Formats: sequence, C-alpha cells, structure tokens
Amino acid sequence: MNAMDRLDRKLRARLLLEQRVEDDRLALDDATLLAALAGTAPLTPAQAAALKASPLTLRRFRQLALERRQTQSAASDRAWRGSGGMLRAAAHGALARLATDDGWWSLHFVRGAAGWHSVLQLDPLAPFAAALLRERAQVRVTDGAGALVLGGALDADGELEAAWPFADAPAVHFQRQGARFMVQPGAA
Amino acid sequence: MRLPGTRYQEHGWEQVRKLLGECSLEVLTPPLLARACDPATAAEALSAYVDDLAAALHAHARRTRGAAAANSYGDSVAELALALACELRARPADWSAFSAALAAEYGRDPAFWTRADAAGLLRKKLNDLYAVLRDKVDSDNYQVACGRPCSPNRIYAYRMLDMAHAQIARLFDNWEANRAQVGAILGREVTATPIEARQLTGIGACRAEWIERWSASQEGFGDGPGPLHTKSKRFEALKGHPEKIQAMLAEIGEYETLSATLDAAWMQDGEDAGAWLDDLDRVLGEVSAAPGYEEQEGEPRDWLDCLAPGLDEPLRLAIYLKVLGPADDSYPPHWLDPASGELPTMQALAARAGVSLPTFRKRRDEALERLRAAGEQG
Repeated sequence: MNAMDRLDRKLRARLLLEQRVEDDRLALDDATLLAALAGTAPLTPAQAAALKASPLTLRRFRQLALERRQTQSAASDRAWRGSGGMLRAAAHGALARLATDDGWWSLHFVRGAAGWHSVLQLDPLAPFAAALLRERAQVRVTDGAGALVLGGALDADGELEAAWPFADAPAVHFQRQGARFMVQPGAA
Repeated sequence: MRLPGTRYQEHGWEQVRKLLGECSLEVLTPPLLARACDPATAAEALSAYVDDLAAALHAHARRTRGAAAANSYGDSVAELALALACELRARPADWSAFSAALAAEYGRDPAFWTRADAAGLLRKKLNDLYAVLRDKVDSDNYQVACGRPCSPNRIYAYRMLDMAHAQIARLFDNWEANRAQVGAILGREVTATPIEARQLTGIGACRAEWIERWSASQEGFGDGPGPLHTKSKRFEALKGHPEKIQAMLAEIGEYETLSATLDAAWMQDGEDAGAWLDDLDRVLGEVSAAPGYEEQEGEPRDWLDCLAPGLDEPLRLAIYLKVLGPADDSYPPHWLDPASGELPTMQALAARAGVSLPTFRKRRDEALERLRAAGEQG
C-alpha cells in the first residue's frame, strides 16, 4: 500500500468514525457482529443497513474487528516455524553449546565414553514452548548442509538427546558445513 | 472514576472544561456570536467556531496546562478538549441548544456580549454545553468498549455513586467527628471504630444501603437533600433499587482493579489502524453476495473516485487539515508549510484557492459531506 492509499484509508476511517446520530444505540449485538466477522453468519441486508446507519454500532464493529486481529496476530506470534543459529566463535574441539539466534533453543555437546552426544533443549519461557510440550512435538536439527544432526519427539522437559552421528567432532563438523544450524518442526 | 472506554470522568475534566472555556472566549467574537444566534447562519457559525477553537487548542497542546495528563490513560488536557470540539461538530443538535440559549440572551438584551458580565455568562453556557457533551461522548465510548447499552444519564449516575462512596469513606475515616451521620449510614449507634471503616477498602466494598442511608441523612447533616432524595427525576431508576446500585458500585470497583493492572488498553491508531476497514468491506461484501440482495443503482463503488473530480489541491489539503489535523506522519513533505512543518492554515489554503475564507470553508464542508456519504459504501 503506498503512502497516498494509506492516507486516504485513514481519512475514510476517520470520516466513518466521526459521524454521530442523535440517540444512536447499538443496533446489532456482539454475537451478530462476531459471527459476521468470522464469516459463519453473514449479515442480512437489513442488518447491514442497520450497521451502516448507526455510527455507534460501526465503532463497536471496529473494536471487535481490531480485538480479533490482535488475538489472531498473538496466536501467530506463538506459532513456531523454526529457529536458526550460527557457530559464533572459531571454537576448536571444545565446543560445548550452540544457541539459536532467537535464544529459545540450545544445543549441548557432551563427550562420553562412547563418543559425542548432543542434547537439544527448549527454553520453557519460549512463547511456543507450552504448545510444543503439550503436543510432544517432533523436531529436527540440521547442519548448514541440511544433514540431520538429531531428530525426534521432545520429552516432558523439552529435551531431545541422541548420539552424535558424524565422524568429525561438533566444532569441526559445523565449521566445515557452513557454520550454521537449524531447528525445525517435523519428523526426522 | 474509570469505566470501560470513558475518557472524561477523572480529575482532569476540570482542566479540560476550563481550557475549552478559555479558548472559546478567545474565538467567539461578537460577529461570530451574532451568526451563532441566527438560525439561518448557526450551522456555518458552528463550522467556523470549531475550526478556530481547534487552532486555539492546538496552540495550547505544548503549553503546561494543555500538555498535562487529564486521565490515567495519559490523554492530555488539550487532546481531550480537541476531541470534544470535534464531537461538537458532529452533533449539531447540541450546538442548536447552545445557540438557542444565546439567542434567548440576545432577545433579552441585544448588547449582552458587550456587557461586563458577558464573559461569565458565556462561560456558563459553554460549561453547560460541554458538560452534556462529555457524558454523551463517554456513554458512547462505554458502549463501544464493552458492547453493553449505556446512556449519558447512566454515566452521570455512576459519577454520583463514585462521589457518594468518596464522601462515605471520608466520614468513616473521621467517624469520631461525624458519629451521628456515620451512625445513620450504618443504621446503628457507633461507640467505637466501626469495623465497616476498615472493610471499606474501595468502591467495590461499598454497600448500596449505605449509599441510600447516606443520601437520606444529607438533609440533616449536609447542605440539602442527598442525590437520591431530591425531587429531581434524574436518579429515579435507582430509587428503591439497592440491587441496581450495588451492581453499579461493583462494576466501577471491578474496572478500577482491572485497569490498574492494564497499561492503556485503549486502542491507539497504530501502524495499520485502517485494517478494520478491510473487515468492514468483507462483511458488507458477503451481504451483497447473499441471495435476495439487490445492488442499488448509482452507488459509488470506488470511494476514491469521489475524491478526485473537482477536488483541487487546496481543497484536498483542507479536508486532511480538518479530519486528521495539521500534523500527521503520513503527509508528504511537499504539502507542509516549511515554516511550521505542518499543513498550511485554512486562511493560506483559501488564498491559494483564490477565494474568501467563508467560501472556501463552505466548499470544504460540502466536499466532506460527499465523502462521508461515500465512505459508507466501501
């Protein structure tokens, strides 16, 4: 939308909202307006005429429409589509932890008797944490070349653990594969 | 007092009222008053009055008094005064009442505004005008915010109950000095600190029967009959209905608690304040798609088409000036007066259009009327 369109839209909105009718009342109830907004029950022509004739009802319509948009955008903020991260420093051998850029995921590396292990950890404060834990969501971690590092369902603590699948140690491997990694929803 | 959506019910109202009075006295010159008195020119006088008043209020916006907060949502005194001035323009019936009151004064004494007491008289009429208007505006705001019916009189009743609670709380706090009236309110003799004084932690904890007994006791202890005991019909709906009083007290109390924890739930004009228009067009579009709907001939389909023909730049800018104000982030820089950084004044725009200010104002108002009619069509 260009600047003039935005300005004219603002003007039109203001003109609509500024109108007053003496002894105006709420001509349609919230249930009717919400059903029309949701598209479940379109307004009848008489209801549409009532909406246009009552600036007060139109203002209530605006309030409900904006509240609905806010709820929707809050819900989409909570939805998670994936997080990416980078290998920050030139780590040699001693890479213990990587974090995604959004800070909600961390990837830990532990050296055991049988070799390296990686542990993915979800920050419980992440806006999408509750939904992922409730669903025991499947997640997958890939390196910069798209190869699977680990994948599976998160446990109740928001963790996922697996043996390190590559020959090179984590620091060397990530450096060779573009120094990037991704955490994404979906089965391995 | 705070209620959902209301803006004019807090301490700052006094300042808003005073600023409106002061700026109105500046702009209501004798010639304008004469036009306001005459039914033939009253509408034109309203338009001129609101324009000049808005300019005067804009000038106050950055001064100490105008910039002070007038409510707990952070609206300034000047902003609220300006919003009320815009409301007046949209409510010609209120202006008619004001101009009828002026005309009556003029009928009694054609030279009344040259008299020494003219300012006081005018201020009184302006106070009446805006006192009515603020409750109309807030009852609308309340309905928009919560979807429940309301009326200006109901807003007035909420305010009376809020005031009554404050008085009762004061009496309870000083129960020793007001032993007899506190006793009348509680319906028993008070000999020690009443437990009710500690229980009254807010308006939500105030009991309807205390309000009723307080009002009844005012005749004997106060300056005259209490609000529920006058001959006025104003609070007729509440008389003898403690349950209604209790529900209203609870509502004020609940909202006070709620709004104390919310920072400005007020819907600001954000980045895409017009997004709801898409919803409106969609909802109205679904109606016309429904069977049995006949599209009316001659409805303007494209709203902007109505803007374009015959609308030269001065007129277009005058419309923005009127509706969105002299400064708006969306204005392209070449529209702005380099000196002020704002849109040119009406005077300057009229000069650019090559017509007199009244003629230009009339053209602008006519164009606005067409736009308003077109705006509803989507």
